[in-house]
Formats: sequence, structure tokens, C-alpha cells
Amino acid sequence: MLAQQLVAATGPVARLLAECARRVQALRERYRTIAAATPEARATTLLREWLSPQQRAQFDAEGYFDVVGCDSGKRYRIHHGTSMNVHEMDKAGYAKSGWCFVPNRRLAAGDVMLAQKIALETCENSALAAANKFAPTQSTFRASRRRPY
Amino acid sequence: MATQIVMDHTGDTRHYFNADDTEALLKAEGRFKALTSAGFTAAVRDAAGDVTVTRSFDPGAEETLFYPRLVGG
Repeated sequence: MLAQQLVAATGPVARLLAECARRVQALRERYRTIAAATPEARATTLLREWLSPQQRAQFDAEGYFDVVGCDSGKRYRIHHGTSMNVHEMDKAGYAKSGWCFVPNRRLAAGDVMLAQKIALETCENSALAAANKFAPTQSTFRASRRRPY
Repeated sequence: MATQIVMDHTGDTRHYFNADDTEALLKAEGRFKALTSAGFTAAVRDAAGDVTVTRSFDPGAEETLFYPRLVGG
């Protein structure tokens, strides 16, 4: 008797909770679809597709990845960002100098980083010839260590 | 299906074409020439993941990425 009353009383609540859960799920799916379509998300997807497996793992873990210059063999670290985000690394793993070169059109960070990676890996000297050199500071270094997503 | 990927403000725009279709291939070659003339760099990635920059249209390239000219920031 008591069990039947409990079932009768909780039935509408359970239905309401189920409906709420269904709506939350639908909203979550919609948000995911919208988020994946943003320029930032699309650029990050493209970047990850073109990174080597090692670079992808480093990017996923640290928010940056290393490339080796095709002409000098020097190591560069490309941080998440759209400018002043490339650091030349010394043998001890510290940022030695910064290089600023960017696409001449406004692009999302992932696209900028991919263009920088390809340039350093395939035509390092001409990329650096166009670049401006800067001294990397602790603040730019710390800021660029944040995970991009 | 071969792909030409052009970086732009939306992230990228992808053009898929059948490399066995002469008309589609001509259109892809025209797009390649138009983009590289406009200052874009074309990079081709092979199946092993190796990337090379190319200045001429490769009808056998599976995936070609175009990025705008790089300038000092």
C-alpha cells in the first residue's frame, strides 16, 4: 500500500527529472556543435591534423610544440598565440630569442601556428628574414604556457 | 578524394575534388595558381605526414594547404 503510494507520488517527479535530463543533453550537444564550428576550434583541429604525433602530444599536454628549423637545425618552440609566440630555444631548453612573423591576414591562432611550423620546417631562412626579432620576457613565456583549450 | 585547404577567417575552407576528373583537376589547378599568385604558400602533405612547400600544381597531391604570406609582426 505504502509502496504503491510512493510510486504514485514519485512518478511525476521522475518524469520531470527525465525530461530535464533530456533537455540538458540536447543543449550540451547543441553547444558542442556550435563550439566545434568556431574559427578557433576549426583552426585547432587543422593544426592537430598537421602536427607530427610527437608535436601533437606535446601540444595537448603543454599548449606548445617544438619544431626543428630545416636550414640551421635549431629548435623553436611555437606557443599558442597569434603574434610574438615563437621562441628559439637554447640547448638547455630556455628561450633564447623570440621571432615574430605572422600571416598577412587575420587568422585564428591554430592557423597562425601551423603556418609558422611549416615555414620553419620547410623554409626557415626566408621565414626568419621576414621576421622581427625580440627578447622573450618571463611574462610572455608564462602567458604562452597556458593550455589553449 | 583530393583536398585543397585554404586558411581564412573561418578557420579554413576545404575544396574536395576527384583527381581522375579532368574538369575538376583543371579547376583545382586554376585555384592553385590563383592562390599562389595572390601570395599564398602551398604545402603538400604526403601519406607519411611529411610536408613540402611546392610552387607548382601537383595533380597527384592528396592534400594541399594554402596559407597567406608571412610578414614580420
